Amino acid sequence: MDRRQTLKLIGGTAALAGAGFPGFAFAQAQQEMVTVVKIAGIPWFNALEKGIQKGAKDFSINATMVGPANVDPAQQVKLLEDLIAKKVNVIGLVPLDVKVCEPVLKRAQAAGIKVITHEGPEQEGRDWNVELIDSVRFGEVQMERLAKDMGGEGDYVVYVGTLTTPLHNKWADAAIAYQQKNFPKMKLVADRFPGADEIDTSQRTTLDVIKAYPNLRGILGFGSNGPIGAGNAVRQQRLAKKIAVVGTVLPSQAKSLIADDTIREGFLWNPTDAGYAMVAVAKLVLDGKPITDGVEVPGLGKAAVDVAGKQIKVDKIMRINKETIDGLIAGGL
Amino acid sequence: MPKAHVASFGRFRRSHEFWLLLVILGLCAGLGFANAQFLTLQNLFDLLTSYAFVGILALGLLVVLIAGGIDISFTATASVAQYVTLSLANAYGANWISVFAIAIGIGGALGALNAVFIQKLRIPSIIVSIATLNIFYGLLIFFTGGKYIYSLPDWFATGIFWFEFEWGKDSSYGVNLQILALALAFLVTWLLLNRTNIGRQIYAMGGNADAAQRLGFHVFGLNILVYGYMGVMAGIASLIQAQLAQSVAPTVLVGKELDVVAAVVLGGASLMGGVGTVLGTFLGLTLLAVLQNGIILLGVSSYWSPFFVGLVILISVSATAWSQRERRTRSARA
Repeated sequence: MDRRQTLKLIGGTAALAGAGFPGFAFAQAQQEMVTVVKIAGIPWFNALEKGIQKGAKDFSINATMVGPANVDPAQQVKLLEDLIAKKVNVIGLVPLDVKVCEPVLKRAQAAGIKVITHEGPEQEGRDWNVELIDSVRFGEVQMERLAKDMGGEGDYVVYVGTLTTPLHNKWADAAIAYQQKNFPKMKLVADRFPGADEIDTSQRTTLDVIKAYPNLRGILGFGSNGPIGAGNAVRQQRLAKKIAVVGTVLPSQAKSLIADDTIREGFLWNPTDAGYAMVAVAKLVLDGKPITDGVEVPGLGKAAVDVAGKQIKVDKIMRINKETIDGLIAGGL
Repeated sequence: MPKAHVASFGRFRRSHEFWLLLVILGLCAGLGFANAQFLTLQNLFDLLTSYAFVGILALGLLVVLIAGGIDISFTATASVAQYVTLSLANAYGANWISVFAIAIGIGGALGALNAVFIQKLRIPSIIVSIATLNIFYGLLIFFTGGKYIYSLPDWFATGIFWFEFEWGKDSSYGVNLQILALALAFLVTWLLLNRTNIGRQIYAMGGNADAAQRLGFHVFGLNILVYGYMGVMAGIASLIQAQLAQSVAPTVLVGKELDVVAAVVLGGASLMGGVGTVLGTFLGLTLLAVLQNGIILLGVSSYWSPFFVGLVILISVSATAWSQRERRTRSARA
């Protein structure tokens, strides 16, 4: 080690020591939570940030949000490392890749930082995962809606983003199981189709499906572009009266298809509520309140808690229909 | 039959296109037999509409491949052209002529930019286009924040519809914007490659760039034209895709390069340059389209469909390779 490096090291240590004390005092005054999301700047996470800001105000936590410029797990890890170095009290995370994030989260926990995730039921290295929907219930509710429109009988198909997208397929499994149990006269005429992440792919698939299964009465789309593409195709073929489209959509995107009743109803969870819920749970953890089943999450009501599985679920499925859509769009969704 | 026709048919029978055509005809016969919905005018129009985007891009790429280059930045070019054009149309109003003029202008300019780097700095075209793909796409995402555009001008959303005919009780079909653009793109590309002096120069340049230069071809000008043409096709394709999807999504086009490359190469164009035909590209595109369509009409499980797509591609390519090997051994014996 030469002299210059030694000097730098001594200087650095002194600066750290100097910064340490005021930092500690600040932490006493207000606790800090930073949430790392999948990507910054897209409408979904802008809405989530609104919820975090509202939570920050309501619970007096210095809560903020950061995210990588593009969808890249490595960049998420880098942001997380920065937060460990910064010694925040709570890290929030909407993980891109649960395996990649695991080691750095474990380091954070070892440093005494609490970890709250969202959309991360399989994430290791967390204290709690917060969900606004129950995956099984989310699939069932949408099947129930489709069945209502089909009068509980007839042919239907299911779209997912890809055949391996975990959440979409979990919802699809739940929906199909629910149909088999409760609506025996309905029939899934083909294995689920991929492509629901892209409008033009689901549009093309729908045109083919309509021809292959002339008695088709319903399309259930998971993956936010699936119902849009299906709706475009059904509208173009003027089959909206015969074929019901139901599924997950973004309100502003589905506006015209909901307005003319091609998409009967859309389902989603509200990202603003999700941001708020993450801060609310952080507050419970920081205050050392016991979290057990039925715990009251401030502002969101009773939650279903799986203590061993570290899951907190608040049932907040958002229904997008003619009555609700204008309000949701005005809210920036 | 006159002698000339016999000779040209003999040539065709030995070509890549002939074998591809046989595979497609066999496939169509089988599908038509299995599902009455397949061989209908309705299905034909649906297929043409759905694959117009890939088809128009494939024609642009065909010209680039014949010229001995490669371009994979065209999806990013298309995304930029689509976003800028329709943002302008939303903000200031526009009509069919002006939206296509803007999209063609943007596409052509971005394509020509590729040519400048490739020709002036002698960088391999694949490297340049990988770089520009990321630059164009990166800038687009930075400036737009990845926001979709959902509301398009009414006249654009409605599209065009010529020679409408009724189908069944409620549906009606006709020549729409996608089919019209696809047909024009095929016509113009065929004329460019087969009926102009420039077309012959493009083949010659792709066959042997050095020789072309020594013969006094204006190689830089040709490259500007070739990559610019690719960009123009990307601009046109982007608009008809937006019209079909009824929205502009900046993130959805990038990643579709492989479909386009597959159609062109399946159609017999060589990645080494100098070889490729418009007919071949049409057949390559048709094979891909018929496969995807047929697999759903046959009710093949989605879990199996990639397997069958791969299998048919392998069979068709093997048939061609086998026929060419046969010919080589026969001519060697003779």
